[in-house]
Amino acid sequence: MKEFGAILYNELIKTIRRPRSFIGFGVITFICLMLQGAFYHDGKEILSFVTGQLDNIFTVEGKVLNGNLICFVVLQTLIVQMPLLVALVTGDLVSGETASGTIRFLLTRPASRTKIVLAKWIAGLFYTLLLLIILGIFALFVSRAIFGTGDMMALNSEGLTIIRGDDINWRWGGAFLIAFLALGVVSSLANMLSCIMDNSITPIVTVMAIIIVFTIIGMFDLPSFDVIKPYLFTTHMISWRSLFEDPVPIPDIVFSCVVLLVHIIVFVSISIFYFNRKDISA
Amino acid sequence: MSIAIQLQSVTKKFKDFTAVDQLSFIVNTGEIYGFLGPNGSGKSTSLRMMMGLIKPSDGNIFLFENALATHRSSIMRRVGCIIEKPDFYNYLSAKENIKLFVRANQLKYTAKDYDALFDLVGLRGRETDKVKTYSHGMKQRLGLAQTLLHNPDLIILDEPNTGLDPQGIIDLRYLLLKLNQEQGKTILFSSHILSEVQEICNSMIVINKGKAVAQGKVADLLSLEKLHVVIEVNDEEKMKRILSESQCASFFEKNVSNEFWMNMSKSQIAPFVQLLIENNLEVCRVDYKNQLEAYFLKITQS
Amino acid sequence: MKPLLFFLFCCFSMRAVAGDDSKLLIREINKKFAQVNDYTANVFMKFDIPGVKMNSLNGKVFFKSPNKFRIRTKGIFFLPKQNPLQNISTLLLDTSSYTSVISGYEILNGKNCAIVNIIPLTAKTELILGKFWIDTKNILILKSQITTKNNGTLETNSTYSSLSNYTLPDKLIIKVEIKKIKIPKMMSGDLNKIAKRNADPNALETGTIELVFSNYTINTKFPDTIFTEKGE
Repeated sequence: MKEFGAILYNELIKTIRRPRSFIGFGVITFICLMLQGAFYHDGKEILSFVTGQLDNIFTVEGKVLNGNLICFVVLQTLIVQMPLLVALVTGDLVSGETASGTIRFLLTRPASRTKIVLAKWIAGLFYTLLLLIILGIFALFVSRAIFGTGDMMALNSEGLTIIRGDDINWRWGGAFLIAFLALGVVSSLANMLSCIMDNSITPIVTVMAIIIVFTIIGMFDLPSFDVIKPYLFTTHMISWRSLFEDPVPIPDIVFSCVVLLVHIIVFVSISIFYFNRKDISA
Repeated sequence: MSIAIQLQSVTKKFKDFTAVDQLSFIVNTGEIYGFLGPNGSGKSTSLRMMMGLIKPSDGNIFLFENALATHRSSIMRRVGCIIEKPDFYNYLSAKENIKLFVRANQLKYTAKDYDALFDLVGLRGRETDKVKTYSHGMKQRLGLAQTLLHNPDLIILDEPNTGLDPQGIIDLRYLLLKLNQEQGKTILFSSHILSEVQEICNSMIVINKGKAVAQGKVADLLSLEKLHVVIEVNDEEKMKRILSESQCASFFEKNVSNEFWMNMSKSQIAPFVQLLIENNLEVCRVDYKNQLEAYFLKITQS
Repeated sequence: MKPLLFFLFCCFSMRAVAGDDSKLLIREINKKFAQVNDYTANVFMKFDIPGVKMNSLNGKVFFKSPNKFRIRTKGIFFLPKQNPLQNISTLLLDTSSYTSVISGYEILNGKNCAIVNIIPLTAKTELILGKFWIDTKNILILKSQITTKNNGTLETNSTYSSLSNYTLPDKLIIKVEIKKIKIPKMMSGDLNKIAKRNADPNALETGTIELVFSNYTINTKFPDTIFTEKGE
């Protein structure tokens, strides 16, 4: 256990100290501030595409444009930019060391390959958690500081859900937990590909390609796509949105979490299996 | 005397290519063992198999008389190695890199210990610099530091002289001799600088195309070998006569002008030169190819 | 010929009488409206709008004659563009802009109601037709249907108790016909939902807003700043 702790500590240091790790922090900060600036300047115009459908019949009263809505919009980008930022670091954890040659020193130490790959996986999850914390701070707390708080208008393809302000914090907590689970899948997938491939770029590109293709399948309501959608992890990556429905579909959310967990277990198992058998020729 | 390394019919096949073929040898504890072979002979693959980086297709590997396949963790605590070139995390300083390895080996190092280690490899004063600013030679030294920091009983070095300046080569030679003679460490040493191998190794193995072609004590392997000697004189005809009458040289060939190439043992050189002088020949030059180099070329090209 | 003329005379007379009766009812209603210069009340709002899920909300309503209106509450809520609390009194007070006639009688919630139709005299107004079910005994608007050019038909149902003399309802149920809101998945981002295919996207559905009033205070002369100041 002590040995694993020492290896894990090493992996955490390496992951955090790598220059490319700071790209993720910078990008998140920039995107949040950029969206907050855009909403501050043009928020009403941006919202009109939603409220426009009601304009003939209703006036929408109350503070629609508030920090909660901004956070909801920013979190939508979870499916687009967050997986790339996660894969950028986690996809390089093993293959980067293979390409640079440091893997040789790592694997000629007493620690088993299983411990090493698990330590790297956990370090990847830790980095993912850091990214989410920064996202949470900027998307939620900074947005609330700028725009105030209040009820949140959650958009769904079937309409709107208004979540009352005093009923929202626990939903945010749950949403970020599910988001962590979702990005944990991305991290595990990237780590798995990193164990299989010997260069840094291919795992990152492959992860993004998989997510893009699966997301495109999810976007279109075609009968042939509806059959495979429940099995795609990208379908369940956005199950955090279900926390902003009324009533909250607990069974659906639990099912999505289970699917995501199963994906993580499968990816980590493949990583361990493959890494233990791999010949290090680099 | 116990056995530090034992390979038993170790084979490694990559698809339809056999990189190592039924390789067997023994390295006793306390030896400095030379591991030689031309490029592509399977040296690197063999070393990687010994360190568990590559799994053999067949055969067994024992380190400290324990099977590597089942006792890897305990074995690796006693082994330090440099395989190919040493690589580090370039975005960290030298000391931070060493700290990672210290932690991975679960050692407790004080500031003094770090200073002593960097002193040993000649990098004191540069330990806080990022590794990306290091030259190749400095990285080699840092690799040595990484290899030695946990005081291993067995040291495996794959071409450690690469990138070192002449002083660095000499320093490394003395360091290895010191580690072996004073601390009883076993050293497996692969190098293309054959003079170094001949200088410091007790035993050696030469492999070619994945197979062992010669192994044993260096002195025994080279004692029977004649040197390839070249002597330049001022009188060609007189030289030919002396050579044909003499029993020192087993073969001679005249190269350019008055240069004569011949095979003779080292102990015969001085008496033969003396003979030439006594016959009033002016000896302009006496030279010979490195014994191991000649031996190496002979057995790997045959 | 004579019976035909007599018949026609009776029809016009009845119409004149009906028109006179409707004016009478409206005059009585307006008298009640005129008693209230301003009022405040607590309001409990409940929403059932197709495509919108929204929990109920408590707030405070402020009204000042003729048509200043505001609900102050923490949170988001929807109110019809043609707010009956704001518009009905304004509409009925301007008697020169419309003509009225009783189109029939109906028993509504056990009360005898005259159905008064309000027809605008000019085509330039937003209003197309207003229909009011007026309790003939208590002179209260129990139900209304207001059809406008741009906002469709809005129906209200009111119940009264203690403040019926001021035509201030205890409960007001507003019904509107709207198309269900649909947002493309590319905008909404809920890729985990599988679309329901059988629904007719152009079908109209009924949305309901229920307002329950309590703790009325009338004619307290609160300042106009209530309607303009920011905050909840």
